[in-house]
Amino acid sequence: MAAYILRRLVSTIAVMAMVGIFVFLLLRLAPGDPAAIIAGDKASPQVIAAIREQLGLNEPMPVQFVHWVLGILAGDFGTSLLSGRPVLELISLRLEPTISISILTIILSVTVGVSFGILAGWRAGGLVDRILTVFATLGFSVPVFVVGFFLLYIFSIRTHWLPVQGYKPIENGFGPWFVHLILPTLALGIPYIAFIARVTRASILEVLSEDYMRTAAAKGASSYAMLFHHALKNAGVPILTVIGISFAYLISGVVITETVFNIPGIGRLVVDALDSRDYPLIQGVLILVSGLYVLINLVVDLSYTLVDPRIRY
Amino acid sequence: MNMTISRRHLVKMGIAAGTVISIPSVLRAQTTPPEARTVRMVMSDIDTFDPIISTTYESGNHGLAIYDTLFALDSKLTPQPQMVGKWGVSDDKKKYTFELRDGLTWHDGTPVTAADCVASIRRWGQVPSGGRLIVERATDISAQDDKTFTISLKEPLGLLIETLASASTPLLFIMREKDATRPATEAVTSNIGSGPFKFNEALVKPGASYTYDRNERYIPRQEPSDGFAGGKVVNVDRVIRENISDQQTAFAALQSGEVDFLQSPSADLYPVIKSDPNLELQALNKAGDVYFMRMNCLQKPFDNVKARQAMLHLIDQEAVMRTAIAQEYISPVTSFFGNRTPYTNDENTGWYKKGGDPEKAKQLLNEAGYAGEKVVILQHTSWAAANVMEQFLAATLRKIGMNVDLVPADSATRTQLLTNGSWSIMMTNESDYDRSTPVSNPTLSANGEQGWYGWPKSDEYEALRAKWAVVGTLEERQALAREMQRIQWDIVGTVLLGSAVAPIARRKTLTGVIEMPALTAMWNMQKVPA
Repeated sequence: MAAYILRRLVSTIAVMAMVGIFVFLLLRLAPGDPAAIIAGDKASPQVIAAIREQLGLNEPMPVQFVHWVLGILAGDFGTSLLSGRPVLELISLRLEPTISISILTIILSVTVGVSFGILAGWRAGGLVDRILTVFATLGFSVPVFVVGFFLLYIFSIRTHWLPVQGYKPIENGFGPWFVHLILPTLALGIPYIAFIARVTRASILEVLSEDYMRTAAAKGASSYAMLFHHALKNAGVPILTVIGISFAYLISGVVITETVFNIPGIGRLVVDALDSRDYPLIQGVLILVSGLYVLINLVVDLSYTLVDPRIRY
Repeated sequence: MNMTISRRHLVKMGIAAGTVISIPSVLRAQTTPPEARTVRMVMSDIDTFDPIISTTYESGNHGLAIYDTLFALDSKLTPQPQMVGKWGVSDDKKKYTFELRDGLTWHDGTPVTAADCVASIRRWGQVPSGGRLIVERATDISAQDDKTFTISLKEPLGLLIETLASASTPLLFIMREKDATRPATEAVTSNIGSGPFKFNEALVKPGASYTYDRNERYIPRQEPSDGFAGGKVVNVDRVIRENISDQQTAFAALQSGEVDFLQSPSADLYPVIKSDPNLELQALNKAGDVYFMRMNCLQKPFDNVKARQAMLHLIDQEAVMRTAIAQEYISPVTSFFGNRTPYTNDENTGWYKKGGDPEKAKQLLNEAGYAGEKVVILQHTSWAAANVMEQFLAATLRKIGMNVDLVPADSATRTQLLTNGSWSIMMTNESDYDRSTPVSNPTLSANGEQGWYGWPKSDEYEALRAKWAVVGTLEERQALAREMQRIQWDIVGTVLLGSAVAPIARRKTLTGVIEMPALTAMWNMQKVPA
């Protein structure tokens, strides 16, 4: 297994290198000029040109690329063109809110989604299954921002139960931190609950029709034992895969959720950086996020061995 | 395969349900309102913190909070001393002497010196601004002692004090000498000023929020607050600028009391704001903003003055403005110098006709020999009101047979397109006040390719603009304004689209917000109990 993990880690570096080259080229080929953003609408072309020179944007593209790569190898992801702050510092300031929403969303999605899926699979065709199917369809179809505004209207504007927007770091106390994350987590979590519930239901249904399940029933196994010891364990691999994919796709939902609930996370950071063509910042965020994705996939792959001993690396 | 529910399960479920039902009251207790001495303002993000390098109002607002100015405009737009205690001018009007008032210190506790002021003026002179005019006309700008500095001029400069006090971005913010000696293409990295607020670096959340704390060392002038002039008294402990990018969320935050001030509520929210007993719309910039379009004078078809004149006659200002702004906030504007500046006049405004004059426009277009050349209109993607107006403009031009192409672009792309000339029409706005500063405002120039986007050229106009700074009285400048306007409405470097007042929204518990054009001051505000 150690050799497998090493191989995967090496491939992670290769993936990140490809992402790096792709992002670097894409940004430089896309229209837009960060110097113009810094100087403002009324600046003269001469001033904009001077700022470009100052920022090193007039250097040949290969030179800029080499500077950037050498910096990363030395642990320096560069400096934001606009704020003048180190990229890693900016990312670290935004990590906590995004990680908080992501973890809470995954916990919510997995617990509720898997439970719904099991229940729907166990009672396939029944009322519960139908209700959950409707919920899952709605969860898929309604965009995150619509759910977000709906929740805001009900729980913040109408009832004043929860704050409208913002984020409180966990160092300010668990209560304020949690309260500010309830609505974003719900808004972001609903599609994932629906997704995980559907996959879990399908997996459970498939396993329930297996011969060994009938055998277990014939032997008088309890409902609990059948469902959790036999069915869920065998349905685990596809569910784990879906959870891994969900985590990876979370970032696109996080961008919208962070915007709707005004949460200063990585999603908004990257959108703002794209708007202002802050090249080092965009590159830094995307490199780190791509690395994170690859690592999540690795963890998911390794976790297969826990639910299915037949899988060996 | 039956599953049964036991009584024990029922009890557990009951407890769980009770807990869930009780959560809202627990949560309500935890969502405390903002502190009574903290003002939260929803304002646009700051792209750069150096208010000299940047011409944006956002950077200007940041500068206004943490830096101080030598002079400042009062509510009548008259210059008044601010950091300056005493000042005088020699009999030949060529040498100005300024003495700083007592008690001026930087946020780090060191005293403000005349050398700081000299370095700041020189840096300001490196960017297109009134500062360039002063530096170009000066033979010497130097410190005489710690508190006194002089500006010696080649020739008298009647506009010198008005220029030092100008509220047109970039303003002359006084920085520490060690910051101000950086070239004006290199942003300052510290945020240490001598203004009424200190920038709280520890609480900076780039792109999200910026915190300004009251500067306890700041000694306000004794005069009452008046515009940007007078005593800058800070009545709260902290002001937090929040960048909430979604309008609906920002408005919901204002309604719920999580923020106190919303800089630019969209016009569709005005009726809801008016109907909310806790909220109020307030026009800080009563003269409003002038919306205008520039045509690329270096390319067909607008390299022909007749084609530009056609646009002047074509535009139905009311129709353009009403696409995005409510009727009660808009008004037509015919003076090149805006609606409510000292230089507003009616010279050569015969082109204005309510509803526009498409027939006259067609005739002028024919005279220009328009042969179906493509007209590229740059379309804002991140400014909703302008986006709609630009679509309407495109439709208006198509109606008289023009071949129009709308090119959507975000801010970064737009400026690049503007610079490389790949466009025919661009639209923007600026405060009415900015239209009164032809010396420092590049949008009021007509110096061809040396000038601002669109690049109209008139040597006669430029000669008058040069004279503007030299003449000594308001009446002389008003006479110049008439002449300049006559030329502008002949060469048509700019077509005015209308004027609009854009009110801010605030909670009624926030009072004392200063009403001035373009920039938003943070001092003088008070929070009263609900």
